[in-house]
Amino acid sequence: MSAAVIRAESLSKWYGNVLGLSDVSLEIDSGITGLLGPNGAGKSTFMKLVTGQMKPNIGRVTVRGRRTWNEPSLYRSIGFCPEPDAFYEDVTGWQFLTGLLRFHGYGPAERAERAGRALEVVDLFKDKDRLIRGYSRGMRQRVKFAQAIAHDPEIVILDEPLSGLDPLSKRKLIKLIKSFRSEGRTVLVSSHVLPEIEALTTRIVLIHQGKILAQGDIPYVRELIEAHPHVISVRSSDPRRLASRFVADPAVQKMTFDPDGRTLVVESRQRDRFFDLLTKAALEAGVAIDEITSPDDNLQAVFDYLVGK
Amino acid sequence: MSVHQRIAEFAASAREVSAFFFFLGRRGGKARVFALLGLIPVVLAVVVRIVMHGRSEDVAAVFTEILMVFFLQFYIVILSLFFGTSIVAEEIEGRTLPYLVSRPLTKPGIIAGKYGAYVLLMVLMVTVNLALSYFVMNSDRLGAVSLYVTFLRYAGVLALGVLAYTAFFTFLGAVLKKAILVGLVFGFGWENVIQYFPGSTQKFSLVHYLKSLLPYRPMRGGGGYLTMLLFRLEPTGPAVSVLTLAAVTAVFLALAGAIFRAKEYLFEE
Amino acid sequence: MATVRAKGYAHWEGAPVERRFPWWPITRTGIMLAFRRKRFKFAFAMSFVPAFVFLVGLYVSERIDDFRHMIRGGNQLLNITPNYFKAYMTNDFLLLPIVFVLAFAGAGLIADDLKHNSLQLYFARPLRKADYVLGKMSVVAFFVLILTALPGIVLLIFKLVFAGSFKFLLDYPWLPLSILGVSALLTVFFSFGILLLSSLSDKSRYVTILVFMSYFFSDILFGILYGIFRKPALALFSIRANIQQAGAFLFGQKLPHAFAAGWSFLVLAGICLLAAAVLHRKVRSVEVIR
Repeated sequence: MSAAVIRAESLSKWYGNVLGLSDVSLEIDSGITGLLGPNGAGKSTFMKLVTGQMKPNIGRVTVRGRRTWNEPSLYRSIGFCPEPDAFYEDVTGWQFLTGLLRFHGYGPAERAERAGRALEVVDLFKDKDRLIRGYSRGMRQRVKFAQAIAHDPEIVILDEPLSGLDPLSKRKLIKLIKSFRSEGRTVLVSSHVLPEIEALTTRIVLIHQGKILAQGDIPYVRELIEAHPHVISVRSSDPRRLASRFVADPAVQKMTFDPDGRTLVVESRQRDRFFDLLTKAALEAGVAIDEITSPDDNLQAVFDYLVGK
Repeated sequence: MSVHQRIAEFAASAREVSAFFFFLGRRGGKARVFALLGLIPVVLAVVVRIVMHGRSEDVAAVFTEILMVFFLQFYIVILSLFFGTSIVAEEIEGRTLPYLVSRPLTKPGIIAGKYGAYVLLMVLMVTVNLALSYFVMNSDRLGAVSLYVTFLRYAGVLALGVLAYTAFFTFLGAVLKKAILVGLVFGFGWENVIQYFPGSTQKFSLVHYLKSLLPYRPMRGGGGYLTMLLFRLEPTGPAVSVLTLAAVTAVFLALAGAIFRAKEYLFEE
Repeated sequence: MATVRAKGYAHWEGAPVERRFPWWPITRTGIMLAFRRKRFKFAFAMSFVPAFVFLVGLYVSERIDDFRHMIRGGNQLLNITPNYFKAYMTNDFLLLPIVFVLAFAGAGLIADDLKHNSLQLYFARPLRKADYVLGKMSVVAFFVLILTALPGIVLLIFKLVFAGSFKFLLDYPWLPLSILGVSALLTVFFSFGILLLSSLSDKSRYVTILVFMSYFFSDILFGILYGIFRKPALALFSIRANIQQAGAFLFGQKLPHAFAAGWSFLVLAGICLLAAAVLHRKVRSVEVIR
């Protein structure tokens, strides 16, 4: 068994009658893992269990082999960026960061140094002496991220970190998060916005209604979907002639033509066999192929299939 | 982890939390509002001093009979109620709890740290306002040593009251969602009504022990609720009173810490 | 070339229907939300205890001979006159439960909107500031009227029913107007007062403290000042004393404090005007933070 950084075993959590998580077993290694699911899927619940804010009803969750509930010494190595837009009142960004850093036992000089570094990283150093309630939404999100990384944690848990950011800030933060991978950190980042997760990592955990639907690399997860045919889009000079070459083959389940008259869209359960057919057919028919794309070879399609859209 | 390590961890948590929240509390607008409330007896003291110029016995009696009752049975109760219940409630309402519980801080240390910060803030507010009103009222006797001894006793009683009430309201805040309303019923209902019960029933209130420690006890008073605040006291000895208040403080603070450690607090979605 | 489908704005040929009472949805929601709070229903039910006690008093007064052996000197206590109704409507027995209920139900009326930044949502609709304030005040008015006018009139009706005649009403024909008048006074004052306090903070917990603090402290301040200066006019500092003074005047009874009731009306009106001014400033769709 690999030494997973975060391990959940048969984890279940409910709030009264509402099920937050149901029998979740998961291992998260170092690197960046995306936790993807719609609102109310259980992402924040899982993160709160990992960061020790809640305790499981059934099962266990451990970080480096240690249970997370009521283990304050464990939190030295965890940085958490919560989802709610909430701060202590009437403090500046600087006071907020240095205040939280003192809880890690740092002296004044080290607090100042770490706070300054974190604020520089999120581009807020020049606004450090402004009250947080005067910050824009994006600035508040960045200062929240800064407090999660200021103490250089080994494990970073980010709950919707890109929410409220403008495209430029998002890009900067994505770049920063990706740099954590090369530093050997473990990052668990949640989002319900699929392109954000795709930009950060290929390793995803899909969660829906408290259950894990799938876990792994995007292509691997996609291959799991045997039940659903792959969609391949072929743009060529004569799609109908091309289509006539393989319409009889059982590898082809369904064919449609786009209104532009140049694109043939094929559904197939045997992707590799179809590609063989396609290349052979194009050669035999003398049809020039301009473009081949697989529109569902991305996260959106994977997710849509898995949640049954 | 050894007991020694646990205590060290608790103490470190409490120390750092206390420093942070004392800083935050000083800046808050609500602290200013409550500090201003405490200035009202000071203003009254100045007015009384001017109006009753030359009648020092009457003036001293006004402090003992009226202003001290205001401090003891209204001001410290309302302060302790607000700040005590805030210890947990403000973190839930403000959704700032994750910033504390995801740090290397023990949960009882968080409670103790916030308690310490707010108690220090309140004791400062109360002591300053008490000092101003007391010494204004007794400004013609500033040379008397007994004046300062009496002041220290008054300040000590109020400080003990802040400690005990805040501990109790902290416990209420850790347990209940609507701690303020229950606290109001306790602070202004139970604490006043129980005094009219004869015999040992008075001992089931915190104010009984505080009044037992007062150097002078009021005999008369004004109208309205102030009359209700007066009492028929069958005092308990000072040593027992101090011990009881200290025990109440320790027990409820410990309970608050234990509950905060065991309980999950969910934000309203 | 691909076709561009026009997705322009369609003109709507209809005419907007103006709501007669644009504040009504705010009132309805406010009342619903109050009843959804845990334990509020219990607190609200308990506020009817004074009415029940006075109702029993009415019954006992009509059956005084049956109860004579239980009540010594009860004749005076249970001699039902307008003073009995004044006692119900202006005593702490009722005023404290009203303050309690309003702290529960009214503290968050504006405070919660400030906390969640909802004022922008309200004023993005065809809603004037006056509609918003009226809607919120109506929530407070609902509870105060239910606890004052309704039991007051019901007590009067039961008095007539227990007596079996209209003599009482013929002796005091202005009594229903007095009941409604005091109820209106309490409704208007508490509506303004609670909204004033609710607009001062975005934390309903703090507003709850302010509500109780204002009510108790005003009376304690009166007590302190009276203890020092012994002047009846100092009762003007007390909200409770002013209500009792104005209430006694409206019931045509002896005034509890030795000064003209007009001053109490002025103080209560002054608080309402202050509240109106503060609300005018606080209730706006955009908050500028410097």
